[in-house]
Amino acid sequence: MTVASNPVELAPLAFSYLERQVWYQTAIESAPPGPLELISIDVLRSARPGLARLLLGRGEHRFQLLVGWRTPAEVAGVLRGRESALLGPWADDEGSVLAYDAIADDELDIELLAHVTGGSERASRVRRVSTLVSHASLVFDERLFMKCYRLLEHGARPEVEVVLRLDAVGFNALLAPVAHWREDGYDLALVREFLPSALEGRLLALTSLRDLLAHASEGDERSGEGPGHEGDGPGVDDPDAECASAGGDLASEMRRLGGTTARLHLALAAAFGDRPAGPSTFADAEAAVTAGSGEAMGQLASRLAAINAPAAGRTIRLHGDYHLRRVMRSETGWLVAGFSDDPLYAVARADGSLPGRRGSPLEDLADMCFAIRRVAGEALAQRPESEADTAGRLAAAWERRNQAAFLEGYVTTDGVRRLLPRDPAMTELILSGFELAREQRYEATSADA
Amino acid sequence: MTSAQRAVTESASEPSEPVQRHQGWRELEDDPRWYETAVFYELVPRGFYDSNGDGVGDIQGIVEKLDYLAWLGVDCLWLLPYFPSPLRDGGYDVADYLSVASDCGSVEDVKQLVEEAHRRGIRVIADLVINHTSDQHPWFVESRSSRDNPKADWYVWGDDDQRWSDVRVIFCDAEPSNWTWDPVRQQYYWHRFFHHQPDLNYENPDVREAILSVARFWLDIGLDGFRLDAAAYLYQRDGSNGENMPETHAFLQRMRKEIDRDYPNRMLLAEVNQWPADVVDYFGDGDECHMCFHFPLMPRMFMAVRREQRFPITEILAQTPAIPDGCQWGIFLRNHDELTLEMVTDEERDYMYAEYAHDPRMRRNLGIRRRLAPLVDNDRGVAELLHAMLLSLPGSPILYYGDELLMGDNIYLGDRDGVRTPMQWTPDRNGGFSRADFAQLFLPPLMDPVYGYQAVNVEAGTRDPSSFLHWLQRMLSVRRQHPIFATGGIEVLPADNPSVLAYVRTGPGAKPGSELTVLCVNNLSRFAQAAELSLARWEGAVPVELIGRALFPPVGPDSYHVTLGPHGFYWLELEERR
Repeated sequence: MTVASNPVELAPLAFSYLERQVWYQTAIESAPPGPLELISIDVLRSARPGLARLLLGRGEHRFQLLVGWRTPAEVAGVLRGRESALLGPWADDEGSVLAYDAIADDELDIELLAHVTGGSERASRVRRVSTLVSHASLVFDERLFMKCYRLLEHGARPEVEVVLRLDAVGFNALLAPVAHWREDGYDLALVREFLPSALEGRLLALTSLRDLLAHASEGDERSGEGPGHEGDGPGVDDPDAECASAGGDLASEMRRLGGTTARLHLALAAAFGDRPAGPSTFADAEAAVTAGSGEAMGQLASRLAAINAPAAGRTIRLHGDYHLRRVMRSETGWLVAGFSDDPLYAVARADGSLPGRRGSPLEDLADMCFAIRRVAGEALAQRPESEADTAGRLAAAWERRNQAAFLEGYVTTDGVRRLLPRDPAMTELILSGFELAREQRYEATSADA
Repeated sequence: MTSAQRAVTESASEPSEPVQRHQGWRELEDDPRWYETAVFYELVPRGFYDSNGDGVGDIQGIVEKLDYLAWLGVDCLWLLPYFPSPLRDGGYDVADYLSVASDCGSVEDVKQLVEEAHRRGIRVIADLVINHTSDQHPWFVESRSSRDNPKADWYVWGDDDQRWSDVRVIFCDAEPSNWTWDPVRQQYYWHRFFHHQPDLNYENPDVREAILSVARFWLDIGLDGFRLDAAAYLYQRDGSNGENMPETHAFLQRMRKEIDRDYPNRMLLAEVNQWPADVVDYFGDGDECHMCFHFPLMPRMFMAVRREQRFPITEILAQTPAIPDGCQWGIFLRNHDELTLEMVTDEERDYMYAEYAHDPRMRRNLGIRRRLAPLVDNDRGVAELLHAMLLSLPGSPILYYGDELLMGDNIYLGDRDGVRTPMQWTPDRNGGFSRADFAQLFLPPLMDPVYGYQAVNVEAGTRDPSSFLHWLQRMLSVRRQHPIFATGGIEVLPADNPSVLAYVRTGPGAKPGSELTVLCVNNLSRFAQAAELSLARWEGAVPVELIGRALFPPVGPDSYHVTLGPHGFYWLELEERR
């Protein structure tokens, strides 16, 4: 589509706008100095409010900016409270307008949704979840979720690739993809279904811990027996039984999550293939064990070194950042999210590992087990000092119970055992090794911080 | 003179009351869809009130207590079976469909009950056991007597016990098989429930006609409808699980058609203990049953409170399909049967047993036989929360007699009698249930220190303005003023706190073209909770709390913050919008 005015004139406005953005500055932090340039411009709608997509480059980096324009009077209304989205004055065919970051304009967001979905989806309301990171997240009518990428990656973007391929092999424990916008070799936007009532696993875990740790302060009041009675219910003398009888017991949910995780791994194996594991697969675990000083762990190191295919199981493409913030409980069960597509996030990872890497499924399991431990520690830290002893024993029991339930749900899922080392005792040892690796890495990161 | 006749005479000898309306009585409206907004009250006639001092509750006893029920604010009574019966299954083993057990009263008494209830704006439905009879029923006695008598094919007979082996045994604690050998006829007979309850043979047109004429008999007496017991099992077919057969639906549709034709404003409530996706078939296209029980919701409400998370409830709501216009769910917290766990997964069942039935005596078949109050450790906050959800979730609520007092149970009584103990009216002898000697009572009243009649009874509840009884009476009154709870749509709202269950009920407002929304927020936790709700759609609305009419802060463009006390709840009306 062409217009008499020159959209290329938008480029200088876009350059200075980008340079004001924190996410842009973070992205180019370690890049050599160089100028921003306009790679391409695509006018999606010339009538007011207008909309254009600008592809900008600086060295190796590519950026997408969606620019809208309206009359100055309209812009004042549309951008109220979001004035920082303004790019500056420009002129379209009809006269003077102000250009701005189109994400800030509800009408243009809805227009963009229609464009990305080829007109199959229309919405009447939009909610901006976050516009400060390297992508804009928009929720339409509380049923569709669009990530509109700003910081682009050439080639397959891990999140898009994983979501589309898992969907293609029939894995349904994720927010289903609805539409995908890809041009010039770049993933520009992804639209998925949105389940507003889904909750992060971490919140569920904290709720469960809250109920359990409250027992530490309630003591024997719960037994319902008056003076002179010895309660026959589980007391804090038996933290495992106390965990099982606590109101917000999470074990059944964790068992389900284990099952969902197993299905995720089977789907990842189906979508990206699986390969024989070997000693190097467990290098992380081995290194952690070597760094640790425990005697039992020392034995693990030598056994790990001796392990070989096919007893070692398989390697698959991993989730790679699997913890309780990456799983959500919805009305229909657990959903897996956060295939850590965000390059900024990947940079921030302490171990420098990138998403999309392969490894033993035990690595994801170790991530989740460690997450269970951490959330227990988090809840424990909120209890008063006077309860530290009782609450500590309860939290430790909670951790054991939920890790065990998660792993049980995993290994009892049909077909998943072939991905794991053949010897269950070995599997357990390797898992401890990976967990230890997570712990050491976490402690090192915390110490650095 | 039978006791029932004596009851009628005694009743008649009291000062006769001119036919007039009393304060609080409501008109019985000419409304074919009355069941959509009704609150039902299920009662065991033998356990409600003994009018003639023989130790057994009776129909006249219910007549005498109608004013209490009118005050409470219920719209329809559901009477458990009052037919002649050997009582080996709480009366669900009917030995004569066309009369009333002598200890319960007479057909005339039922007629009087219906008339007196109608004067107070209350309707009456009764159990109709259509799947089977007692083995004492003359039909079965004749059928078993030979292989060629006129009723030989009124029941399901077979030469071996292997047919339909895929059909589950429902009372698995008591029955090894669905077939039992009859030494008289030298054949096996088919039964889905106890062996003394042979299944009727619906393949036989005479059986179908006989059951339809039983229905007509009671509709002529004036009953407003039936709760159809075990409606899913009328037919069996080779290679199937013998449930929900097309022929079963065809029979129920025929029954509905005949009732619609000859008896206006009557209703059918199906007992089909299945998943909602299967149960909806019993609504047909709005041409089968008017109501069906929603069985899976109830255990999940208990589970949600116990786990202090909303997912058990929201999951089952998400699995509940839309129902045809003019149809309604029947929802309940407890009833005369066990808290049924057929409609939960094995894992959830283990959890429920562990949580709610520590003592194996509390378990029965696939369920837990407890009343509401003991199930929630007599925690009034939990009882109020559960009722607040019961009265605000989609469906017509069905209360179980005595639960309005938070009555207890007696798990040491056999079968399901533990939850059928006498209604507790006063702190006097036998809890005011009967003037008979204690030893004469059909079941002993509760006398324990927590739930015993000395502490828990209607008199105490009515005198104490802060009692649970008064609270529930107020809640029923609030619900009645807002038909949206009965007929509105439901949408579960996202809340960032898993312990908070929030949903809106929406429907047309009072002004033409307006829309009314009631927001229900429930805290499933025993701790105070805060939550953020997405109410942007109602931006500008000023929520009004329905019970105290207090105004809440207006809804803004961002998330709406609510704080709730332990097990707290709100019903907030969002003002009508044009």
